Amino acid sequence: MATDKTQHLQQVLETHRMAHIEKLLDKYKEKRQEVKEALEENYKDKIYNPINSGSYAKHTAINIKFDLDIVVPFKRNSFDTLEEMFNDVFDFLYEKYKDVAEVRKQKVSIGIIFDADDNGDEINIDVVVGRELNQDQYTEDRNLNLFVNSQYGLLDEKTYIQTNIQAQIDHIKGKNNERSIIRLLKIWKTTNNESYKSFFLELITIKAFDKESISGNLWDKLKSVMEYIKENITKDNFTLKDPGNTNNDVADTLEDWEKANLSNKMSNMISNIENNSDNIKTYFPINEEFKEEEDENKGQYGLKDASIVAPSIPNKSQQFG
Amino acid sequence: MKIINSHKNVSLEYEEDLILKIESLAFKHYPNEFGGFLIGYYSDDLKTLVLTDVLSPNEYKSHRVLFERSAEGIKEKLLELFNLNEKRYYVGEWHSHPDASSMYSLTDLNAMQSIAESETIRIKNPILLIVSINNQKLKNYTFYLYDNNTLFEYGRK
Ligand SMILES: [Zn+2]
Repeated sequence: MATDKTQHLQQVLETHRMAHIEKLLDKYKEKRQEVKEALEENYKDKIYNPINSGSYAKHTAINIKFDLDIVVPFKRNSFDTLEEMFNDVFDFLYEKYKDVAEVRKQKVSIGIIFDADDNGDEINIDVVVGRELNQDQYTEDRNLNLFVNSQYGLLDEKTYIQTNIQAQIDHIKGKNNERSIIRLLKIWKTTNNESYKSFFLELITIKAFDKESISGNLWDKLKSVMEYIKENITKDNFTLKDPGNTNNDVADTLEDWEKANLSNKMSNMISNIENNSDNIKTYFPINEEFKEEEDENKGQYGLKDASIVAPSIPNKSQQFG
Repeated sequence: MKIINSHKNVSLEYEEDLILKIESLAFKHYPNEFGGFLIGYYSDDLKTLVLTDVLSPNEYKSHRVLFERSAEGIKEKLLELFNLNEKRYYVGEWHSHPDASSMYSLTDLNAMQSIAESETIRIKNPILLIVSINNQKLKNYTFYLYDNNTLFEYGRK
């Protein structure tokens, strides 16, 4: 039997919702709050209010992969160098949590991985430490410099990056259509072990919606975005500006051969799904853990969508005998 | 009139006038088959389907034991109905069986399956009405509910 692509994709999104892991999520939020308060107590007026970021804050999280990050904005005069700031926060968190968690330096953040609790849940919180560009200007421009831990990069790489995490969060605010497609592409990447960065998929999806008229049902929209990626990613002048710093071109994070590869993948996915709708299940699988068994006789007429959002339109001739 | 489908435990409501309208359409084409689209709406709890009207196809082929309706030009009419304040929409199909029973044929089942699986159809349980007529009168009629590749008959309350 053929698969109804839009109905399937809706179920994919539904079974990957964060709401299914509410208890685990509550533990994350509790830990995040605890870390935030510890930082505020320790650094007092050296910092501005920490903000939440990561995919959960952007509403693009999926329950098989998500991050709850804390961004800590330091004042310009709090430390002499970004490195000092980064190390000071690391030392503080390490001392505080060394007995109950693994605390480690990452490329631009400090990771705290709490030991598994009685239920085997491992909570992990990333702390991004930034410093305002100019004294007392953070509340106005939200610009931050982040220290880049160079042991993770090339030696001659610069040791800081300028970003604006608030602008990155605002960039996706209210974009519900885009979010559904971003979540689907993240489900594809996670379940198919693709290495593309979520941030890249996020920006290219938003750009596709900006540049093309993307409408129709969920499959129509996903297909249009995949077609946009296929057509545009390999173009010489194609850029993806980081809303946090327009000098950053996120498309540059892919080599030419990787771009060609991605374009081919999109092309193959579209044609494989159009040739046989069942193939959509391979690329965009349902999260079986949260699949609800449909009660076929629950005393209701069945709808393919959550409610009658679209009319049914017979589109081909039918013979009756 | 209210009838019940015990397979899915849902009901169907319609006025006698609607049957009269269908009867006269069927007679007009006798001894050939005729049919069209069923229009209506679901109650908010989705337990009841209320039939309100029929829509005839713009193009069709009509024979003694075969009826083929096209979908030409139907989209515009259906969108118009869907945009009314009192939203009306496609809920199924009807056709006549001249000088034959109101039992569905394999062709009918296949058509309903193809309809239910079509991506442009957003309901899972389209209904099928078959009216049995002879040269004098409407003999009887049967409503079926399509569910999981099967047609289930509605019965009187
Ligand atoms: Zn028939």
